[in-house]
Amino acid sequence: MKQSLPNTQSSVEKSAVLELHDVKKSFSVPGGDPLLILDIPFFQIAAGELVALEGQSGSGKSTLLNVVSGIMRPDSGQVLIGGLNIVKLAEPQRDRLRADRIGLVFQQFNLLPGFTALENVLVAMSFGSQVSSKERAESLLEAVGLADRFHHKPAAMSIGQQQRVAVARALANRPRVLLADEPTASIDPSHQQQVIDLLQTTCREEEVALLVVTHAPEVAEQFPVRHRLEDFNRAAAVHPTTSGVY
Amino acid sequence: MSLLGIAWRNIKQRAFTSGLTALSMSLGVALVVATLITGGVVKQAFESGAGLGYNMIIGAKGSPLQLVLNSVYFISKPIENISWATYTEFLPAHERPDGNDGTWAASTQTAVPICMGDYFRGHRVVGTNSTYFDRLTRGNGQPFEFSSGTNFQDEDLYSAVLGSQVALTLNLQVGDTIAPTHGADDGKVHDPFQITGILSRTDTPIDRGVFVNMEGFYLQDGHAKPIDLIEVNEQVEPDHDDLPGKGLLPFNQREVTAILLETAAFPGLPAELTAMGLRNAINEGREAQAALPIAEIRVLLDLFVTPLELLLLLVTTLVVIVSAIGILVSMVGSSLERSRDVAIMRALGARRSVVLATVLIEAILLAVGGGVIGLLLGHGTVGLIGPWIATNAGVTAGFLSYTTAELLLVPFLIVLAILAALLPAVAAYRTDVARWLG
Repeated sequence: MKQSLPNTQSSVEKSAVLELHDVKKSFSVPGGDPLLILDIPFFQIAAGELVALEGQSGSGKSTLLNVVSGIMRPDSGQVLIGGLNIVKLAEPQRDRLRADRIGLVFQQFNLLPGFTALENVLVAMSFGSQVSSKERAESLLEAVGLADRFHHKPAAMSIGQQQRVAVARALANRPRVLLADEPTASIDPSHQQQVIDLLQTTCREEEVALLVVTHAPEVAEQFPVRHRLEDFNRAAAVHPTTSGVY
Repeated sequence: MSLLGIAWRNIKQRAFTSGLTALSMSLGVALVVATLITGGVVKQAFESGAGLGYNMIIGAKGSPLQLVLNSVYFISKPIENISWATYTEFLPAHERPDGNDGTWAASTQTAVPICMGDYFRGHRVVGTNSTYFDRLTRGNGQPFEFSSGTNFQDEDLYSAVLGSQVALTLNLQVGDTIAPTHGADDGKVHDPFQITGILSRTDTPIDRGVFVNMEGFYLQDGHAKPIDLIEVNEQVEPDHDDLPGKGLLPFNQREVTAILLETAAFPGLPAELTAMGLRNAINEGREAQAALPIAEIRVLLDLFVTPLELLLLLVTTLVVIVSAIGILVSMVGSSLERSRDVAIMRALGARRSVVLATVLIEAILLAVGGGVIGLLLGHGTVGLIGPWIATNAGVTAGFLSYTTAELLLVPFLIVLAILAALLPAVAAYRTDVARWLG
């Protein structure tokens, strides 16, 4: 297992699919100075790499995912996805890039409740540049073991099945990197391993880089590359006890 | 998946709220449609009833509007009768027993007498002669057409012609007989008349009329002018080859309810001028009044129908606007749920413009759905109350009746829905993804 600080470019041999350079992000606080949440000199993930990122609550994990996915723009620095600095892009371009190159798996799955499993995958496809393919959506659902759940809505599926739909949906547009935010936090311990295996297996098959953000060491230790956010986010050292979701 | 598909699934997801919103809108639209159609049909019927081959009606002194409503539209009651002698003043020499032109013969092109007061199973009975269908028109100058049979012959005293709606409603055919009742549906039953012809549909009040030979009409109980009311100096017409013979009611015992008149144009003078001159001359006399149907109907429409129609349209427009506000309330009410869905779609890469469009399309779908259901409901309502309208208002309206204003209804609804959905759409546009998915 590789466990090293990611702030040296030599630590990654393959071409980088995600790079952060001098990224800073702060939030305004009523009646006070802006609160610095992210201060990352350098971070990088190689193509097809499976990475776990550990972090305590308030260490900036969610903010990092929002910045990497283009949902938030950092105050400064560069975020490169496949070599393209998304900080310079206008919001509609970042949206399109997120649809095409980034897959997201949330802690609460965030499936659309009015859509079936198949429709949840298809709707993600419709936001990308590629033509929606029902065959690919079905094949992804089959790959995550939901061949008999195409037309079930989330409410009619178990938690584990919903998470599987979320994984299939995240892979719908053949992304370069899949970001998973605490993907096992809402799942009972007996099923957590299945989700980790599923993420790793499908990302290997699809040749997608995986960044799993987790606060659980037992999850992080199962990934070939493991980082601690506090080790390269200088802001976490400044605000070690910051509460709230950042 | 298309934006339409996404919007449709959003509607299905909130099926109950969406259904109530669409229902509210459809009821509003149904009200508008029913009002528009009924108003339009009433107006159209009044306007079409004023172009039937005559431009003036002669009747007893009184309300000219009542004379027109009774004579043309078969609604309201007859004012009074005028004498047969007055009628003959409009006839040329060869149609008069004295062989001289009547006083107004030169100004008259066609004079058709009508006698009213009898009924047949809810329909007005009109006593007239064969000139009614030979010389008058069914509207726009088109001659009357018979769907079966022919016009009655004046010599055939107990013969009748039915309007299309009467024949259809009462399931009567040529050869059947009808027995009118005197004064009302439950009045004394007269002698039977045999149907010789059934008119093709005209979409005018004619469709609701029962037309019987005036000569047979006169011979019924209560239709002859009582002898003691005949003035001493009123001339009793002698029998004549071309005029009432044996067994017919003598002229001095005859009255007519009205005369439908097509005025003649004097050479070199506009027809309108002749008509105005004749009307003034008749109205200055004591015997009768002359009414111009078009003018009377125009007054009726301007004073009553049009303002009422505008008022109803205003009320129903407000109803539709309230329905559109229902869309707004519905969408704002579900905004919490929507915000999460919007945040998910945005995280998946949907642009702000896409989620904005999705919300607007959702509103448009509700408006179109509610509008179409409302159109069907409105037409269904008109179809249901059509017979009641026909009986009480004297105009024909059914499921397929329509007005051109309906064509604007759905586009109007769409614009309203878009306006109503702007607020929730902008809220969706501004959804903070990080906040909702954090």
